[in-house]
Amino acid sequence: MWKRSVGDRVLHFYLAGINNQNFLMRDRETGTWWQQISGKAIFGKLKGQALELAPFDELSFGLWKKESPGGQVLAPVARDQKKYESKWEDEVLKLPVPVSFPGTALKSRDVVVGLVVDGEARAYPVETIVKQSPIQDRLGGRPILLVAGADGKSVRAFLSRIDDTDVELFRKSDSKDFVLIDSEGSGEWNFQGCAVSGPLTGKCLPGLPAIKDYWFDWRNYHVDTTVYRR
Amino acid sequence: MRERKQGWGQEMLERQKSLYLVFWLLVLIGLAPFVVPAFIIRPFRYQSPGALHLALVFRQIAPIGTVLAACGVLGLALGAWRSTARKQRALLILGSLLVIGSATMARMNYFEWMFHPVEMPGFQKADDAKLDAGEMVLTVSIHGDARAYPVREMAYHHIVNDVVGGVPIAATY
Repeated sequence: MWKRSVGDRVLHFYLAGINNQNFLMRDRETGTWWQQISGKAIFGKLKGQALELAPFDELSFGLWKKESPGGQVLAPVARDQKKYESKWEDEVLKLPVPVSFPGTALKSRDVVVGLVVDGEARAYPVETIVKQSPIQDRLGGRPILLVAGADGKSVRAFLSRIDDTDVELFRKSDSKDFVLIDSEGSGEWNFQGCAVSGPLTGKCLPGLPAIKDYWFDWRNYHVDTTVYRR
Repeated sequence: MRERKQGWGQEMLERQKSLYLVFWLLVLIGLAPFVVPAFIIRPFRYQSPGALHLALVFRQIAPIGTVLAACGVLGLALGAWRSTARKQRALLILGSLLVIGSATMARMNYFEWMFHPVEMPGFQKADDAKLDAGEMVLTVSIHGDARAYPVREMAYHHIVNDVVGGVPIAATY
């Protein structure tokens, strides 16, 4: 999810090619070529520029609707509706990969959440996040938090720090709903990373862009990435 | 007298030959800007940085390059038409069609034949959307404006140019 402006110029993107299974887009205004996963201009007039990320999430529809009841959903395009694959994820799993990176326990098409904090990149297998949620980790020298939602599918990442103080959150075990409690045990936190009770009520952890990607693709564009394991 | 005439004929033949050589060379030049990137940028294949760069350079020059080459090819074909035997004329036509095809394809975005773009994104209220609770959506919320892009739709269209909360964004998947 990118903000599509560079300087004063608003750009309109279209699909224009593929680079090791990650797509390339061009903008109508300058014809520059951009890499989808990095938002970087790789060729053409604006080469060297980078798009700014728009804060986004990948959530289940049910969870999102609860959080944003007044929200709007992209309507299907009538003429293309038949081409939307409901089982596309299974289909994609069968497709070959152009590059592979042996040496980790991960398979090429394992889905990871990729984070970059202060230049340090790490891949968190979604399966692991769902199993261990919440995960406290340190990346780029900062405390971070990964949580899976009550649906067992949606994942969010946060910088777990408020006003220069690290915040440690745990799953509240006696609760059926999704609730996190902080280490002082005095406050409860929701999946949006906001304190809903306790002294920090109303404060929210800063969100981190959590990019869901196939391992091979993430690794291909983040050569120095490490893989989370515990 | 006879000798001179023969020499002249030889010269014509040589000229004709080199004209054909230039003709086919131009056909190749006209084809390359379309064929080379199409070959390099194939799905499920590895693209090395160097090869990708080459492909993009060709794509960059393709719109003008293919037309210039096509003009040259057509000019030569017309010029050589009268002095060319009937059977050979078929080759002149073939070469011309190849470069015209290449110039046409250089103006097409065949990736959008495979995945149609969303020209004007339409939206519905969360309550009206026919989605299962478990279906994944890409979401963004800017200045209180919340949007969801169903992954199932995005996996086909790949890009949606939108304005959310006054901010122009591109949802990509």
